[in-house]
Amino acid sequence: MHIPDGYLSPSTCAVLYGTAIPFWYVAFARVKRLLNTRLVPLLAVVSAFCFVIMMFNVPLPGGTTGHAVGVGAATVVLGPWASMLAVSIALLIQAVFFGDGGITTLGANCFNMAIVGSLAAHFVYRVMAGRSAITSSRRVLAAGLAGYAAINVAALFTATELGIQPLFFKDASGAPLYAPYALHIAIPAMMLGHLTFAGLAELFVSGGVVAYLQRTNPVLLGQKPSARVDEARPVATSVWGTTRPLWIRLALLMLLTPLGILAAGTAWGEWGAKEFSDPQMRQQIAAASGNIAPPSQQPQGLARLSSLWSAPFPQYAPPFVHRPAFGYVMSAVFGSGLILGFFLLMAWMTDRRGGGAPRASP
Amino acid sequence: MTVPIFELRDVTYRYHEVTALDGLNLTIMPGERVSLLGANGSGKSTLLSILDGLCFPEKGSIAFQGEPLTDDRLGGEVEFDFRRKVALVFQNPDVLLFNPTVFDEVAFGPLQMQWPKERILLRVNEMLDQMEIAHLKDRSPHHLSTGEKKRVALASVLILDPDVLLLDEPTAALDPKSESQMIDFLVSCSGGRKTVVTATHDIDLVEDIADTCHVFQRGRIVATGAPSVILNDHALLLSTNLIHAHRHAHAPGDLHSHPHRHGHRH
Amino acid sequence: MKPNAKNSRGVVERTLASIVDALEHAFYAEELTKTNGLLQRIDPRVKIVALLPLVVIAALARKLWVIVALFVVAVAVATLSNVPLRTLAKRVWLGVLTFSGVISLPALFLTPGRTLYTLPLLGWIVTAQGLRAALYLIMRAETAATFSVLLVLCTPWSNLLKALRVLRVPIVLVVVLGMTYRYIFLLLRSAHDMFRSRKSRMVGRLDGREQRRAATASVGVLMSKTLQLSGDVYLAMRSRGFQGEVHVLDEFRTGWFDWIMSAVFVTVAALALWFGR
Repeated sequence: MHIPDGYLSPSTCAVLYGTAIPFWYVAFARVKRLLNTRLVPLLAVVSAFCFVIMMFNVPLPGGTTGHAVGVGAATVVLGPWASMLAVSIALLIQAVFFGDGGITTLGANCFNMAIVGSLAAHFVYRVMAGRSAITSSRRVLAAGLAGYAAINVAALFTATELGIQPLFFKDASGAPLYAPYALHIAIPAMMLGHLTFAGLAELFVSGGVVAYLQRTNPVLLGQKPSARVDEARPVATSVWGTTRPLWIRLALLMLLTPLGILAAGTAWGEWGAKEFSDPQMRQQIAAASGNIAPPSQQPQGLARLSSLWSAPFPQYAPPFVHRPAFGYVMSAVFGSGLILGFFLLMAWMTDRRGGGAPRASP
Repeated sequence: MTVPIFELRDVTYRYHEVTALDGLNLTIMPGERVSLLGANGSGKSTLLSILDGLCFPEKGSIAFQGEPLTDDRLGGEVEFDFRRKVALVFQNPDVLLFNPTVFDEVAFGPLQMQWPKERILLRVNEMLDQMEIAHLKDRSPHHLSTGEKKRVALASVLILDPDVLLLDEPTAALDPKSESQMIDFLVSCSGGRKTVVTATHDIDLVEDIADTCHVFQRGRIVATGAPSVILNDHALLLSTNLIHAHRHAHAPGDLHSHPHRHGHRH
Repeated sequence: MKPNAKNSRGVVERTLASIVDALEHAFYAEELTKTNGLLQRIDPRVKIVALLPLVVIAALARKLWVIVALFVVAVAVATLSNVPLRTLAKRVWLGVLTFSGVISLPALFLTPGRTLYTLPLLGWIVTAQGLRAALYLIMRAETAATFSVLLVLCTPWSNLLKALRVLRVPIVLVVVLGMTYRYIFLLLRSAHDMFRSRKSRMVGRLDGREQRRAATASVGVLMSKTLQLSGDVYLAMRSRGFQGEVHVLDEFRTGWFDWIMSAVFVTVAALALWFGR
């Protein structure tokens, strides 16, 4: 899931760095307040741990192996804010020193895996574990699912970022400049791999760590829930409060995407097989292609491949989606709606958990 | 009358249901070379941590240079002063060497004390030469041998010129050459300028590096005296698990056993 | 020390292999920084300011020939800095080609546009736009990766971190990164020892479920060690006077050579930026 250099456009990279930075800032402030002088050694050592975990081959059913990111384990044991920082640091070292993941795309990778991943894991774990006993198997399950959710939500964001590249960024001849696969290819392709393999690896690692700690050192798990309960009330207001500017930014982003439809006219390349036979569409295609008439019949390859891609995922590509305008709008709304919906869920969850009047932060 | 540099009264410390120190009384005078002798787990390391103000006794009191040493009193300038004067060399070098390079490690203390940059650069390079580790300056700690790590550890504490040196098993896991260098160094710390407290289970070391010995067992001091006296008390050493009595032969075919040590005699 | 290729099956072997590889990679990198090539002689702060923009431009430029030209520049700089091209090929180029090559392969057929070539048996059509898209992706990845690897192979990691401050990276992050780097190797070593002892106790192959248990138990042990370590290191830091303020000390000094090289690199970057927009 590490996006290498060259797969995302300058604006995408910039936007994602810009989105990550406020989270880093908030996470650092929160962690510093909690840990104070212990911040440096704890963060360093946990980041080292995440880095090493990323190297583990986790055996999966079916004889394959996968890699876990460790975000599930880190979030359950340390909370989402410390996890955000630790995973980001591990990703930075991976990218710079080991060439795994790009430097321009570091903001994106951190946002997807560390930030979104930690938040997703945190909320799934809180909801699923509830107030069950520290050593109950429900917590193991909750941790596993938290890891699984984290990876898959991260993958979804990654796929969306990659999928919108060919929509916006093409050179003069129409070739995609960065990632070449549109949303309706990118999303299924990424999600399939992560819902099955990568997600499972994370599930086993997160669940496994909690199970192990329950047996050997439950104190480590015990500290967090009570601390979290105390924190829950201040967190309810502070998370909401500090993320309000982010809400506004995201809302703006969502509003801007449909503008792309107006700017680009018809989405070049986003044609279904049927388009080639429809005379009206043919004229549109010709106009958008520098007045080169499209082939009289749909390209055979396109015909064959388009059925290949739509068949397994009918819910993703019902026939009418192949109309360019509609497909475009669907993708844009889908992507943005996801982001917004996620944050709505996050806020709702925090309010539900926190309840009561806001308390002064510790 | 000189103020003792450390004064411990009735110190008790428990950790995870284990009583590490049990009603301990100890007085250390400035310039003394003290050895804490005891088998592993007898409480020596815990005592060193307490002397270094890293953990604090549940019961009892500890005073440094006549002033009580407590969690509340440490902080700010008082702590900076204390940390400069008292240095602890941990047993596990991987914990002690937490900086990315040897240079950074030796410079860490002065940086915390906020010396001016030029002075730090000068002193660090001097120290590296003195401990013969200048060639390791940019090396990362995980690439060093145990002997080299211990020398770096010493360099990084000695640069602040502490008054008290606390050492936890300084010769453990060292090769013979490094061990002898370490012992040379410890021997040279006589002359009353520094107070040296060494915790060890290696009794062969004690004769050369200490003037006073305290023998530990299960969190208490069971004997105190000059090394020559303590080391000849075989019954004591056997009961505190500091020597062994396995079978051996002085001549072929003459298997027997009695308390003994493996060491050099001259 | 590398496990026998024939026996490279099972999670233990493969994780062990990747750990060993990481350790060797790091050691090799530290060796290279000591030679006297072009990049090694430049002040780390200048290097960052010089090379990072090239990474960024290579990843983002809109003209293919500019990216290829930057690649040539990267190879030239590598040669002048005593980095063997074979090493680059093995460590960077091959991996990137495999990864991005495989990823971009379907794009040859899926990107609509002008037909370039039709595959004989399958009838799939390679389009000019598809080819361009694939080339963009591969060349970008190769060039960006080459520049970043050069930056890292020719600078000791701790100096690279300290030099980051020229980019206004907060000191606390620099200190944490330095400590993370140092402890990665400790944890890698622990993991390596754990796996090696597990491997030596293995008779025959474990089934999937047992392997999974082994893997997750190792992760659990590592996490325990990690948290224990953080407590111990904190005490060690406190013992040396740490009260929360972080500092870094470097011995960087820039000379005329650094300024000339920075001018050269900045010019290259400016040209690439201009032509690649």
